[in-house]
Amino acid sequence: MPTFRSERWFQWCNGFFILAVSILMLMPLVHLLAVSLSAGEFVSRNQVYFWPKGWNISVYEYLGGQSRLWRSLGVSVYITLMGTMITLLISTTLSYALSRKYMPLRSLILKLIVVTFIFSLPLIPFFLVVRDLGLLNSLWSLMIPTATGAYYIFIMAAFFRGLSSELFEAGRIDGCNEYRLFWQIAVPMSIPVIATIALFHAVYQWNSYFYAIIFIRDHSLYPMQMLVREMVILDQMMNNLTGYDTSTKAMATDQLKAGVVLFVTFPILLVYPFIQKYFVKGAMLGSLKE
Amino acid sequence: MPRTIWQALTSNPRVGVFILAVPGLAYFLLFKYLPLLGNIIAFKNYDLFLGIWGSPWVGFSQFERMFRYGEFIQIVTNTFAISFYQLIFGFPAPLILALLLNEIRTFWFKRFTQTMLYLPHFLSWIIVGGIFIELLSTKGMVNLMRASLFGAGPVQYLIEPDYFRGILVSIGIWKEVGWGMIIYLAALAGINPSLYEAAVVDGANRWRQMWSITLPALLPAIVILFLLRVGNLLDQNVEQVLVFLNPLVRNVGEVIDTYVYRVGLQGAQYSYTTAIGILKSLVGLVMVVSLNQLSKKVTGESMY
Repeated sequence: MPTFRSERWFQWCNGFFILAVSILMLMPLVHLLAVSLSAGEFVSRNQVYFWPKGWNISVYEYLGGQSRLWRSLGVSVYITLMGTMITLLISTTLSYALSRKYMPLRSLILKLIVVTFIFSLPLIPFFLVVRDLGLLNSLWSLMIPTATGAYYIFIMAAFFRGLSSELFEAGRIDGCNEYRLFWQIAVPMSIPVIATIALFHAVYQWNSYFYAIIFIRDHSLYPMQMLVREMVILDQMMNNLTGYDTSTKAMATDQLKAGVVLFVTFPILLVYPFIQKYFVKGAMLGSLKE
Repeated sequence: MPRTIWQALTSNPRVGVFILAVPGLAYFLLFKYLPLLGNIIAFKNYDLFLGIWGSPWVGFSQFERMFRYGEFIQIVTNTFAISFYQLIFGFPAPLILALLLNEIRTFWFKRFTQTMLYLPHFLSWIIVGGIFIELLSTKGMVNLMRASLFGAGPVQYLIEPDYFRGILVSIGIWKEVGWGMIIYLAALAGINPSLYEAAVVDGANRWRQMWSITLPALLPAIVILFLLRVGNLLDQNVEQVLVFLNPLVRNVGEVIDTYVYRVGLQGAQYSYTTAIGILKSLVGLVMVVSLNQLSKKVTGESMY
Protein backbone atom coordinates (compact mmCIF):
# COMPACT_ATOMS: atom_id res chain seq x y z
CA MET A 1 0.00 0.00 0.00
CA PRO A 2 1.43 3.38 -0.94
CA THR A 3 2.38 5.49 2.04
CA PHE A 4 1.65 9.13 1.33
CA ARG A 5 2.73 11.78 3.76
CA SER A 6 -0.76 12.29 5.06
CA GLU A 7 -1.11 8.58 5.62
CA ARG A 8 2.10 8.57 7.64
CA TRP A 9 0.91 11.53 9.65
CA PHE A 10 -2.40 9.80 10.33
CA GLN A 11 -0.67 6.61 11.46
CA TRP A 12 1.48 8.49 13.91
CA CYS A 13 -1.37 10.54 15.31
CA ASN A 14 -3.61 7.54 15.57
CA GLY A 15 -0.94 5.47 17.22
CA PHE A 16 -0.21 8.22 19.66
CA PHE A 17 -3.86 8.62 20.51
CA ILE A 18 -4.34 4.89 21.06
CA LEU A 19 -1.24 4.77 23.22
CA ALA A 20 -2.47 7.71 25.26
CA VAL A 21 -5.84 6.05 25.86
CA SER A 22 -4.15 2.79 26.82
CA ILE A 23 -1.92 4.51 29.31
CA LEU A 24 -4.97 6.28 30.68
CA MET A 25 -6.35 2.87 31.55
CA LEU A 26 -3.38 2.06 33.73
CA MET A 27 -2.55 5.39 35.26
CA PRO A 28 -5.16 5.51 38.02
CA LEU A 29 -4.02 2.17 39.36
CA VAL A 30 -0.38 3.19 39.11
CA HIS A 31 -1.14 6.30 41.11
CA LEU A 32 -2.68 4.27 43.90
CA LEU A 33 0.28 1.92 43.86
CA ALA A 34 2.62 4.87 44.21
CA VAL A 35 0.60 6.26 47.11
CA SER A 36 0.67 2.96 48.91
CA LEU A 37 4.43 2.64 48.57
CA SER A 38 5.31 6.18 49.62
CA ALA A 39 6.38 7.65 52.90
CA GLY A 40 3.44 9.08 54.79
CA GLU A 41 4.48 12.72 54.86
CA PHE A 42 4.61 12.99 51.07
CA VAL A 43 1.15 11.51 50.82
CA SER A 44 -0.38 13.94 53.26
CA ARG A 45 1.27 16.78 51.41
CA ASN A 46 -0.19 15.43 48.19
CA GLN A 47 3.10 15.19 46.42
CA VAL A 48 2.78 11.69 45.11
CA TYR A 49 1.84 11.32 41.45
CA PHE A 50 2.90 8.20 39.62
CA TRP A 51 6.08 7.24 41.35
CA PRO A 52 6.51 6.57 45.07
CA LYS A 53 8.30 9.22 47.07
CA GLY A 54 10.29 7.81 49.90
CA TRP A 55 10.01 4.07 49.51
CA ASN A 56 7.97 2.66 52.31
CA ILE A 57 6.49 -0.77 52.46
CA SER A 58 5.06 -0.47 55.94
CA VAL A 59 1.53 -0.28 54.54
CA TYR A 60 1.88 -3.71 53.05
CA GLU A 61 3.67 -5.06 56.10
CA TYR A 62 0.78 -3.88 58.22
CA LEU A 63 -1.93 -5.14 55.89
CA GLY A 64 -0.14 -8.46 55.54
CA GLY A 65 -0.74 -9.06 59.21
CA GLN A 66 -4.46 -8.43 59.02
CA SER A 67 -6.13 -11.78 59.40
CA ARG A 68 -9.50 -10.41 58.34
CA LEU A 69 -8.11 -9.52 54.94
CA TRP A 70 -6.60 -12.93 54.43
CA ARG A 71 -9.74 -14.64 55.59
CA SER A 72 -11.87 -12.71 53.14
CA LEU A 73 -9.35 -13.60 50.44
CA GLY A 74 -9.86 -17.23 51.32
CA VAL A 75 -13.61 -16.81 51.16
CA SER A 76 -13.37 -15.23 47.74
CA VAL A 77 -11.10 -17.97 46.45
CA TYR A 78 -13.47 -20.59 47.77
CA ILE A 79 -16.63 -19.11 46.31
CA THR A 80 -14.90 -18.50 43.01
CA LEU A 81 -13.61 -22.04 42.62
CA MET A 82 -16.59 -23.82 44.12
CA GLY A 83 -19.09 -21.49 42.52
CA THR A 84 -17.55 -21.98 39.11
CA MET A 85 -17.62 -25.73 39.52
CA ILE A 86 -21.28 -25.63 40.45
CA THR A 87 -21.98 -23.38 37.51
CA LEU A 88 -20.19 -25.70 35.13
CA LEU A 89 -22.00 -28.76 36.44
CA ILE A 90 -25.42 -27.23 36.12
CA SER A 91 -24.77 -25.48 32.84
CA THR A 92 -23.05 -28.25 30.93
CA THR A 93 -25.58 -30.92 31.84
CA LEU A 94 -28.57 -28.79 30.97
CA SER A 95 -27.01 -27.43 27.78
CA TYR A 96 -25.99 -30.86 26.62
CA ALA A 97 -29.47 -32.19 27.27
CA LEU A 98 -31.05 -29.33 25.38
CA SER A 99 -28.75 -29.93 22.45
CA ARG A 100 -30.06 -33.46 21.99
CA LYS A 101 -33.04 -33.56 19.67
CA TYR A 102 -34.57 -36.46 21.58
CA MET A 103 -34.71 -34.55 24.83
CA PRO A 104 -38.29 -34.62 26.15
CA LEU A 105 -39.99 -31.21 26.37
CA ARG A 106 -37.04 -29.67 24.61
CA SER A 107 -38.65 -26.79 22.75
CA LEU A 108 -40.87 -25.92 25.70
CA ILE A 109 -37.90 -25.69 28.02
CA LEU A 110 -35.95 -23.59 25.54
CA LYS A 111 -38.84 -21.17 25.23
CA LEU A 112 -39.13 -20.96 29.01
CA ILE A 113 -35.45 -20.17 29.27
CA VAL A 114 -35.83 -17.38 26.74
CA VAL A 115 -38.58 -15.96 28.93
CA THR A 116 -36.19 -15.75 31.86
CA PHE A 117 -33.84 -13.85 29.62
CA ILE A 118 -36.47 -11.27 28.75
CA PHE A 119 -37.89 -10.68 32.20
CA SER A 120 -35.11 -9.62 34.48
CA LEU A 121 -34.94 -11.16 37.90
CA PRO A 122 -36.99 -9.18 40.45
CA LEU A 123 -34.80 -8.46 43.41
CA ILE A 124 -37.24 -8.70 46.29
CA PRO A 125 -38.86 -12.00 45.35
CA PHE A 126 -35.39 -13.37 44.61
CA PHE A 127 -34.29 -12.40 48.08
CA LEU A 128 -37.38 -13.98 49.57
CA VAL A 129 -36.77 -17.25 47.72
CA VAL A 130 -33.18 -17.42 48.93
CA ARG A 131 -34.30 -16.60 52.43
CA ASP A 132 -37.05 -19.19 52.45
CA LEU A 133 -34.63 -21.82 51.25
CA GLY A 134 -32.60 -21.18 54.36
CA LEU A 135 -29.57 -20.00 52.44
CA LEU A 136 -29.27 -16.61 54.08
CA ASN A 137 -25.95 -15.83 55.67
CA SER A 138 -24.26 -18.84 54.12
CA LEU A 139 -21.75 -18.98 51.31
CA TRP A 140 -24.16 -21.16 49.30
CA SER A 141 -26.27 -18.07 48.75
CA LEU A 142 -23.41 -16.61 46.77
CA MET A 143 -22.77 -19.64 44.65
CA ILE A 144 -26.07 -21.30 43.86
CA PRO A 145 -28.70 -18.65 43.15
CA THR A 146 -26.48 -16.96 40.57
CA ALA A 147 -25.05 -20.15 39.12
CA THR A 148 -26.25 -19.90 35.58
CA GLY A 149 -28.60 -18.24 33.15
CA ALA A 150 -29.87 -18.17 29.61
CA TYR A 151 -26.64 -16.63 28.39
CA TYR A 152 -24.40 -19.52 29.47
CA ILE A 153 -26.96 -22.12 28.41
CA PHE A 154 -27.35 -20.78 24.91
CA ILE A 155 -23.64 -20.50 24.30
CA MET A 156 -22.99 -24.01 25.50
CA ALA A 157 -25.99 -25.59 23.84
CA ALA A 158 -24.94 -24.11 20.51
CA PHE A 159 -21.54 -25.64 20.93
CA PHE A 160 -22.90 -29.05 21.87
CA ARG A 161 -25.23 -28.97 18.90
CA GLY A 162 -22.22 -28.46 16.67
CA LEU A 163 -20.48 -31.62 17.78
CA SER A 164 -20.50 -34.31 15.14
CA SER A 165 -23.11 -36.94 15.78
CA GLU A 166 -21.03 -39.85 14.52
CA LEU A 167 -19.05 -40.11 17.71
CA PHE A 168 -22.22 -40.27 19.74
CA GLU A 169 -23.73 -42.91 17.50
CA ALA A 170 -20.57 -44.94 17.75
CA GLY A 171 -20.71 -44.59 21.49
CA ARG A 172 -24.30 -45.68 21.63
CA ILE A 173 -23.55 -48.76 19.53
CA ASP A 174 -20.83 -49.59 22.01
CA GLY A 175 -23.46 -49.56 24.75
CA CYS A 176 -22.86 -46.21 26.38
CA ASN A 177 -25.75 -44.75 28.30
CA GLU A 178 -26.47 -41.02 28.16
CA TYR A 179 -24.40 -40.34 31.20
CA ARG A 180 -21.28 -41.81 29.64
CA LEU A 181 -21.98 -40.19 26.32
CA PHE A 182 -22.00 -36.90 28.13
CA TRP A 183 -18.99 -37.35 30.36
CA GLN A 184 -16.72 -39.33 28.12
CA ILE A 185 -17.54 -37.97 24.71
CA ALA A 186 -19.23 -34.58 24.89
CA VAL A 187 -17.26 -33.03 27.72
CA PRO A 188 -13.74 -33.80 26.49
CA MET A 189 -14.66 -32.35 23.12
CA SER A 190 -15.96 -29.17 24.73
CA ILE A 191 -12.99 -28.01 26.70
CA PRO A 192 -12.76 -24.64 24.88
CA VAL A 193 -16.29 -23.58 25.61
CA ILE A 194 -16.17 -24.97 29.13
CA ALA A 195 -12.96 -23.06 29.81
CA THR A 196 -14.49 -19.90 28.45
CA ILE A 197 -17.63 -20.10 30.53
CA ALA A 198 -15.55 -21.07 33.55
CA LEU A 199 -13.38 -17.99 33.20
CA PHE A 200 -16.30 -15.68 32.56
CA HIS A 201 -18.03 -16.90 35.64
CA ALA A 202 -14.91 -16.93 37.79
CA VAL A 203 -14.25 -13.28 37.07
CA TYR A 204 -17.88 -12.44 37.74
CA GLN A 205 -17.85 -14.38 40.98
CA TRP A 206 -14.60 -12.83 42.13
CA ASN A 207 -15.70 -9.28 41.45
CA SER A 208 -19.32 -9.28 42.51
CA TYR A 209 -20.31 -7.78 45.83
CA PHE A 210 -23.96 -6.82 45.63
CA TYR A 211 -25.42 -10.21 46.50
CA ALA A 212 -22.90 -10.53 49.29
CA ILE A 213 -24.28 -7.31 50.76
CA ILE A 214 -27.79 -8.66 50.62
CA PHE A 215 -27.22 -12.19 51.80
CA ILE A 216 -24.25 -12.18 54.18
CA ARG A 217 -24.27 -10.88 57.77
CA ASP A 218 -21.34 -12.69 59.35
CA HIS A 219 -18.08 -10.81 59.11
CA SER A 220 -16.21 -14.05 58.96
CA LEU A 221 -18.03 -14.93 55.73
CA TYR A 222 -17.35 -11.66 53.95
CA PRO A 223 -15.84 -12.10 50.50
CA MET A 224 -12.96 -9.78 49.81
CA GLN A 225 -14.88 -7.24 47.73
CA MET A 226 -17.39 -6.77 50.50
CA LEU A 227 -14.71 -6.26 53.14
CA VAL A 228 -12.83 -3.80 50.98
CA ARG A 229 -16.08 -1.99 50.34
CA GLU A 230 -16.55 -1.46 54.05
CA MET A 231 -13.03 -0.26 54.47
CA VAL A 232 -12.62 1.94 51.46
CA ILE A 233 -16.07 3.00 50.29
CA LEU A 234 -17.93 3.11 53.56
CA ASP A 235 -14.92 4.49 55.39
CA GLN A 236 -15.01 1.93 58.13
CA MET A 237 -11.32 1.16 58.24
CA MET A 238 -11.07 1.23 61.99
CA ASN A 239 -13.73 -1.37 62.53
CA ASN A 240 -11.98 -3.81 60.33
CA LEU A 241 -8.35 -3.48 61.21
CA THR A 242 -6.63 -4.65 64.32
CA GLY A 243 -3.79 -2.87 65.99
CA TYR A 244 -4.57 0.37 64.23
CA ASP A 245 -2.75 3.11 66.03
CA THR A 246 -3.96 6.56 64.98
CA SER A 247 -1.11 8.22 66.76
CA THR A 248 1.44 6.76 64.39
CA LYS A 249 1.45 9.31 61.60
CA ALA A 250 3.53 6.97 59.52
CA MET A 251 0.51 5.73 57.60
CA ALA A 252 -2.16 8.05 56.28
CA THR A 253 -5.63 6.53 55.96
CA ASP A 254 -5.45 7.29 52.26
CA GLN A 255 -2.41 5.11 52.05
CA LEU A 256 -4.06 2.26 53.83
CA LYS A 257 -7.04 2.53 51.53
CA ALA A 258 -4.75 2.51 48.54
CA GLY A 259 -2.94 -0.50 49.92
CA VAL A 260 -6.17 -2.38 50.47
CA VAL A 261 -7.34 -1.64 46.95
CA LEU A 262 -4.06 -2.91 45.54
CA PHE A 263 -4.31 -5.96 47.78
CA VAL A 264 -7.63 -6.92 46.26
CA THR A 265 -6.47 -6.05 42.73
CA PHE A 266 -3.34 -8.11 42.90
CA PRO A 267 -4.92 -11.56 42.32
CA ILE A 268 -6.59 -10.35 39.14
CA LEU A 269 -3.36 -8.83 37.87
CA LEU A 270 -1.61 -12.07 38.64
CA VAL A 271 -3.87 -14.22 36.45
CA TYR A 272 -4.62 -11.57 33.86
CA PRO A 273 -1.89 -12.41 31.35
CA PHE A 274 -2.95 -16.03 31.31
CA ILE A 275 -6.69 -15.62 31.06
CA GLN A 276 -6.70 -12.65 28.76
CA LYS A 277 -6.35 -14.74 25.62
CA TYR A 278 -9.20 -17.04 26.56
CA PHE A 279 -11.46 -14.15 27.29
CA VAL A 280 -11.08 -12.52 23.96
CA LYS A 281 -11.79 -15.81 22.22
CA GLY A 282 -14.78 -16.36 24.43
CA ALA A 283 -16.26 -12.95 23.88
CA MET A 284 -16.17 -13.56 20.18
CA LEU A 285 -17.70 -17.01 20.63
CA GLY A 286 -20.60 -15.41 22.41
CA SER A 287 -21.18 -12.64 19.97
CA LEU A 288 -20.72 -14.49 16.73
CA LYS A 289 -23.21 -17.01 17.92
CA GLU A 290 -25.89 -14.36 17.80
CA MET B 1 -29.55 -56.43 28.90
CA PRO B 2 -30.73 -54.16 31.67
CA ARG B 3 -30.65 -55.92 34.99
CA THR B 4 -32.06 -53.36 37.39
CA ILE B 5 -34.71 -50.65 37.21
CA TRP B 6 -31.94 -48.10 37.35
CA GLN B 7 -30.23 -49.63 34.37
CA ALA B 8 -33.52 -49.94 32.52
CA LEU B 9 -34.17 -46.28 33.07
CA THR B 10 -30.74 -45.00 32.22
CA SER B 11 -30.36 -47.09 29.12
CA ASN B 12 -33.32 -45.27 27.60
CA PRO B 13 -31.75 -42.20 26.00
CA ARG B 14 -34.73 -39.95 26.54
CA VAL B 15 -34.92 -40.71 30.22
CA GLY B 16 -31.17 -40.59 30.61
CA VAL B 17 -30.78 -37.20 29.00
CA PHE B 18 -33.66 -35.81 31.02
CA ILE B 19 -32.06 -36.96 34.23
CA LEU B 20 -28.90 -35.15 33.19
CA ALA B 21 -30.93 -31.99 32.80
CA VAL B 22 -32.58 -32.20 36.21
CA PRO B 23 -30.10 -30.07 38.21
CA GLY B 24 -30.28 -27.30 35.61
CA LEU B 25 -34.05 -27.49 35.42
CA ALA B 26 -34.33 -27.39 39.18
CA TYR B 27 -32.12 -24.31 39.19
CA PHE B 28 -34.25 -22.49 36.64
CA LEU B 29 -37.44 -23.37 38.43
CA LEU B 30 -36.21 -22.34 41.83
CA PHE B 31 -34.15 -19.29 41.07
CA LYS B 32 -35.58 -17.89 37.87
CA TYR B 33 -39.25 -18.86 37.85
CA LEU B 34 -40.14 -18.90 41.50
CA PRO B 35 -39.09 -15.27 41.88
CA LEU B 36 -41.17 -14.37 38.83
CA LEU B 37 -44.15 -15.95 40.52
CA GLY B 38 -43.18 -14.13 43.69
CA ASN B 39 -43.98 -10.91 41.90
CA ILE B 40 -47.46 -11.55 43.15
CA ILE B 41 -46.58 -9.76 46.36
CA ALA B 42 -46.80 -6.53 44.41
CA PHE B 43 -50.55 -6.93 44.62
CA LYS B 44 -50.45 -7.57 48.30
CA ASN B 45 -49.15 -5.84 51.33
CA TYR B 46 -46.44 -8.26 52.22
CA ASP B 47 -45.98 -8.74 55.90
CA LEU B 48 -42.92 -10.58 57.15
CA PHE B 49 -44.86 -12.51 59.71
CA LEU B 50 -47.85 -13.40 57.60
CA GLY B 51 -45.78 -14.71 54.74
CA ILE B 52 -46.79 -14.59 51.10
CA TRP B 53 -50.09 -16.38 51.48
CA GLY B 54 -51.16 -14.73 54.68
CA SER B 55 -50.53 -11.20 53.54
CA PRO B 56 -53.61 -9.23 52.54
CA TRP B 57 -54.47 -8.35 48.94
CA VAL B 58 -54.37 -4.68 48.08
CA GLY B 59 -54.98 -4.74 44.36
CA PHE B 60 -53.19 -1.99 42.52
CA SER B 61 -52.63 0.30 45.47
CA GLN B 62 -48.86 -0.31 45.48
CA PHE B 63 -48.79 0.83 41.88
CA GLU B 64 -50.90 3.87 42.68
CA ARG B 65 -48.49 4.70 45.44
CA MET B 66 -45.70 4.96 42.89
CA PHE B 67 -47.32 7.80 41.09
CA ARG B 68 -48.57 9.57 44.15
CA TYR B 69 -45.12 10.25 45.52
CA GLY B 70 -42.79 12.60 43.70
CA GLU B 71 -39.71 10.61 44.47
CA PHE B 72 -40.65 7.85 42.07
CA ILE B 73 -40.72 10.27 39.15
CA GLN B 74 -37.34 11.58 40.21
CA ILE B 75 -35.87 8.11 40.34
CA VAL B 76 -37.14 7.15 36.92
CA THR B 77 -35.78 10.43 35.57
CA ASN B 78 -32.39 9.67 37.07
CA THR B 79 -32.37 6.19 35.59
CA PHE B 80 -33.33 7.46 32.15
CA ALA B 81 -30.89 10.34 32.27
CA ILE B 82 -27.92 8.21 33.23
CA SER B 83 -28.81 5.53 30.69
CA PHE B 84 -29.24 8.21 28.08
CA TYR B 85 -25.79 9.68 28.74
CA GLN B 86 -24.36 6.17 28.60
CA LEU B 87 -26.04 5.61 25.29
CA ILE B 88 -24.90 8.85 23.71
CA PHE B 89 -21.30 8.64 24.89
CA GLY B 90 -20.76 5.08 25.92
CA PHE B 91 -22.22 3.38 22.89
CA PRO B 92 -20.15 5.03 20.17
CA ALA B 93 -16.91 5.02 22.17
CA PRO B 94 -16.01 1.33 21.73
CA LEU B 95 -16.95 1.54 18.07
CA ILE B 96 -14.75 4.54 17.44
CA LEU B 97 -11.91 2.98 19.36
CA ALA B 98 -12.23 -0.24 17.38
CA LEU B 99 -12.23 1.64 14.08
CA LEU B 100 -9.11 3.54 15.08
CA LEU B 101 -7.34 0.51 16.44
CA ASN B 102 -8.13 -1.37 13.30
CA GLU B 103 -6.12 1.15 11.30
CA ILE B 104 -2.95 0.34 13.19
CA ARG B 105 -0.58 -1.65 11.01
CA THR B 106 1.94 -2.75 13.58
CA PHE B 107 0.74 -6.03 15.00
CA TRP B 108 2.61 -6.05 18.28
CA PHE B 109 1.53 -2.52 19.05
CA LYS B 110 -2.05 -3.49 18.46
CA ARG B 111 -1.84 -6.45 20.81
CA PHE B 112 0.09 -4.54 23.42
CA THR B 113 -2.38 -1.66 23.62
CA GLN B 114 -5.37 -3.98 23.52
CA THR B 115 -4.10 -5.75 26.62
CA MET B 116 -3.96 -2.45 28.43
CA LEU B 117 -7.27 -1.26 27.09
CA TYR B 118 -9.40 -4.02 28.47
CA LEU B 119 -7.69 -4.38 31.82
CA PRO B 120 -10.19 -2.12 33.62
CA HIS B 121 -13.00 -4.43 32.59
CA PHE B 122 -11.56 -7.09 34.90
CA LEU B 123 -11.42 -4.84 37.93
CA SER B 124 -14.34 -4.96 40.30
CA TRP B 125 -16.43 -1.85 40.89
CA ILE B 126 -15.08 -1.77 44.40
CA ILE B 127 -11.56 -1.40 43.06
CA VAL B 128 -12.62 1.16 40.49
CA GLY B 129 -14.55 3.01 43.16
CA GLY B 130 -11.58 2.98 45.47
CA ILE B 131 -9.35 4.34 42.71
CA PHE B 132 -11.59 7.16 41.58
CA ILE B 133 -12.80 8.18 44.99
CA GLU B 134 -9.16 8.78 45.81
CA LEU B 135 -8.45 10.55 42.51
CA LEU B 136 -11.48 12.81 42.65
CA SER B 137 -11.36 13.74 46.31
CA THR B 138 -10.58 17.30 47.33
CA LYS B 139 -6.97 16.34 48.03
CA GLY B 140 -6.88 13.92 45.13
CA MET B 141 -4.83 14.13 41.97
CA VAL B 142 -7.47 15.70 39.74
CA ASN B 143 -7.94 18.65 42.05
CA LEU B 144 -4.20 18.96 42.58
CA MET B 145 -3.69 19.22 38.84
CA ARG B 146 -6.42 21.80 38.58
CA ALA B 147 -4.67 23.80 41.24
CA SER B 148 -1.22 23.59 39.70
CA LEU B 149 -2.30 24.01 36.07
CA PHE B 150 -5.16 26.48 36.38
CA GLY B 151 -4.82 27.75 39.90
CA ALA B 152 -8.43 26.77 40.42
CA GLY B 153 -9.95 25.89 43.75
CA PRO B 154 -10.84 22.29 44.54
CA VAL B 155 -14.12 20.87 43.33
CA GLN B 156 -15.78 18.23 45.39
CA TYR B 157 -16.57 16.06 42.43
CA LEU B 158 -18.11 13.21 44.26
CA ILE B 159 -20.70 15.12 46.22
CA GLU B 160 -21.69 17.81 43.73
CA PRO B 161 -25.04 16.88 42.18
CA ASP B 162 -24.12 18.69 38.98
CA TYR B 163 -21.15 16.45 38.34
CA PHE B 164 -22.41 13.14 39.58
CA ARG B 165 -24.06 11.74 36.47
CA GLY B 166 -21.24 12.85 34.21
CA ILE B 167 -18.62 11.32 36.45
CA LEU B 168 -20.55 8.11 36.83
CA VAL B 169 -20.91 7.70 33.08
CA SER B 170 -17.30 8.69 32.36
CA ILE B 171 -15.90 6.18 34.80
CA GLY B 172 -18.18 3.57 33.29
CA ILE B 173 -16.80 4.33 29.86
CA TRP B 174 -13.23 4.19 31.17
CA LYS B 175 -13.92 0.75 32.52
CA GLU B 176 -15.77 -0.81 29.63
CA VAL B 177 -14.63 0.83 26.40
CA GLY B 178 -11.74 -1.56 25.90
CA TRP B 179 -13.90 -4.59 26.39
CA GLY B 180 -16.72 -3.27 24.26
CA MET B 181 -14.48 -2.85 21.28
CA ILE B 182 -13.61 -6.54 21.09
CA ILE B 183 -16.83 -7.46 19.36
CA TYR B 184 -16.35 -4.72 16.81
CA LEU B 185 -12.72 -5.73 16.27
CA ALA B 186 -13.83 -9.27 15.59
CA ALA B 187 -16.37 -8.07 13.06
CA LEU B 188 -13.82 -5.78 11.45
CA ALA B 189 -11.39 -8.64 11.08
CA GLY B 190 -13.99 -10.49 9.09
CA ILE B 191 -14.28 -7.90 6.36
CA ASN B 192 -12.88 -9.01 3.03
CA PRO B 193 -9.67 -7.05 2.37
CA SER B 194 -10.18 -7.14 -1.39
CA LEU B 195 -13.10 -4.76 -0.89
CA TYR B 196 -10.69 -2.19 0.43
CA GLU B 197 -8.21 -2.82 -2.35
CA ALA B 198 -10.89 -2.28 -4.95
CA ALA B 199 -11.93 0.92 -3.21
CA VAL B 200 -8.39 2.25 -3.20
CA VAL B 201 -8.13 1.55 -6.94
CA ASP B 202 -11.33 3.52 -7.41
CA GLY B 203 -9.71 6.40 -5.58
CA ALA B 204 -11.58 6.22 -2.30
CA ASN B 205 -9.79 7.80 0.64
CA ARG B 206 -9.80 6.35 4.12
CA TRP B 207 -12.97 8.07 5.23
CA ARG B 208 -14.86 7.09 2.13
CA GLN B 209 -13.76 3.53 2.65
CA MET B 210 -15.02 3.62 6.19
CA TRP B 211 -18.36 5.00 5.16
CA SER B 212 -18.97 2.62 2.27
CA ILE B 213 -17.32 -0.59 3.37
CA THR B 214 -16.60 -0.71 7.07
CA LEU B 215 -19.75 0.74 8.57
CA PRO B 216 -22.18 -1.26 6.44
CA ALA B 217 -20.28 -4.41 7.36
CA LEU B 218 -20.57 -3.54 11.01
CA LEU B 219 -24.21 -2.61 10.81
CA PRO B 220 -25.62 -5.96 12.03
CA ALA B 221 -23.38 -5.92 15.11
CA ILE B 222 -24.14 -2.27 15.79
CA VAL B 223 -27.86 -2.71 15.53
CA ILE B 224 -28.01 -5.78 17.74
CA LEU B 225 -25.81 -4.24 20.41
CA PHE B 226 -27.85 -1.07 20.25
CA LEU B 227 -31.11 -2.95 20.67
CA LEU B 228 -29.71 -4.84 23.62
CA ARG B 229 -28.67 -1.58 25.22
CA VAL B 230 -31.96 0.14 24.71
CA GLY B 231 -33.88 -2.82 26.03
CA ASN B 232 -31.93 -2.35 29.25
CA LEU B 233 -32.49 1.38 29.46
CA LEU B 234 -34.20 1.18 32.80
CA ASP B 235 -31.67 -1.28 34.19
CA GLN B 236 -28.73 0.32 35.75
CA ASN B 237 -25.71 -1.56 36.90
CA VAL B 238 -26.33 -1.61 40.63
CA GLU B 239 -22.75 -2.39 41.52
CA GLN B 240 -21.58 0.65 39.59
CA VAL B 241 -23.99 3.16 41.05
CA LEU B 242 -23.92 1.83 44.59
CA VAL B 243 -20.20 2.47 44.86
CA PHE B 244 -20.49 6.18 44.12
CA LEU B 245 -23.93 6.98 45.46
CA ASN B 246 -24.00 9.03 48.62
CA PRO B 247 -26.75 10.95 50.44
CA LEU B 248 -25.66 14.28 48.94
CA VAL B 249 -26.24 13.19 45.36
CA ARG B 250 -29.23 10.98 45.89
CA ASN B 251 -31.59 13.31 44.13
CA VAL B 252 -29.70 12.97 40.87
CA GLY B 253 -28.11 9.60 41.30
CA GLU B 254 -30.62 7.25 42.84
CA VAL B 255 -31.73 4.83 40.17
CA ILE B 256 -34.53 2.29 40.24
CA ASP B 257 -32.35 -0.63 41.25
CA THR B 258 -30.60 1.18 44.10
CA TYR B 259 -33.97 2.50 45.27
CA VAL B 260 -35.38 -1.02 45.32
CA TYR B 261 -32.39 -2.13 47.35
CA ARG B 262 -32.49 0.72 49.82
CA VAL B 263 -36.23 1.14 50.30
CA GLY B 264 -37.26 -2.40 49.48
CA LEU B 265 -34.73 -4.50 51.29
CA GLN B 266 -33.26 -2.23 53.89
CA GLY B 267 -36.51 -0.39 54.42
CA ALA B 268 -38.61 -3.57 54.23
CA GLN B 269 -41.02 -2.08 51.70
CA TYR B 270 -41.21 -5.37 49.88
CA SER B 271 -44.48 -5.09 48.04
CA TYR B 272 -44.04 -1.52 46.92
CA THR B 273 -40.62 -2.10 45.37
CA THR B 274 -41.71 -5.34 43.77
CA ALA B 275 -44.43 -3.37 42.04
CA ILE B 276 -41.75 -0.99 40.79
CA GLY B 277 -39.78 -3.95 39.49
CA ILE B 278 -42.76 -5.25 37.58
CA LEU B 279 -43.33 -1.90 35.96
CA LYS B 280 -39.69 -1.71 35.00
CA SER B 281 -39.79 -5.14 33.37
CA LEU B 282 -42.93 -4.30 31.44
CA VAL B 283 -41.53 -1.04 30.15
CA GLY B 284 -38.34 -2.80 29.16
CA LEU B 285 -40.29 -5.46 27.33
CA VAL B 286 -42.36 -2.92 25.44
CA MET B 287 -39.24 -1.03 24.44
CA VAL B 288 -37.42 -4.10 23.20
CA VAL B 289 -40.33 -5.38 21.18
CA SER B 290 -41.25 -2.06 19.61
CA LEU B 291 -37.68 -1.11 18.82
CA ASN B 292 -37.14 -4.51 17.30
CA GLN B 293 -40.12 -4.01 15.01
CA LEU B 294 -38.88 -0.55 14.11
CA SER B 295 -35.43 -1.83 13.40
CA LYS B 296 -36.76 -4.58 11.17
CA LYS B 297 -38.57 -2.00 9.07
CA VAL B 298 -35.75 0.50 8.89
CA THR B 299 -32.63 -1.59 8.63
CA GLY B 300 -33.82 -5.12 8.18
CA GLU B 301 -31.91 -6.19 11.26
CA SER B 302 -33.44 -7.35 14.47
CA MET B 303 -32.69 -9.43 17.49
CA TYR B 304 -34.92 -12.35 16.60
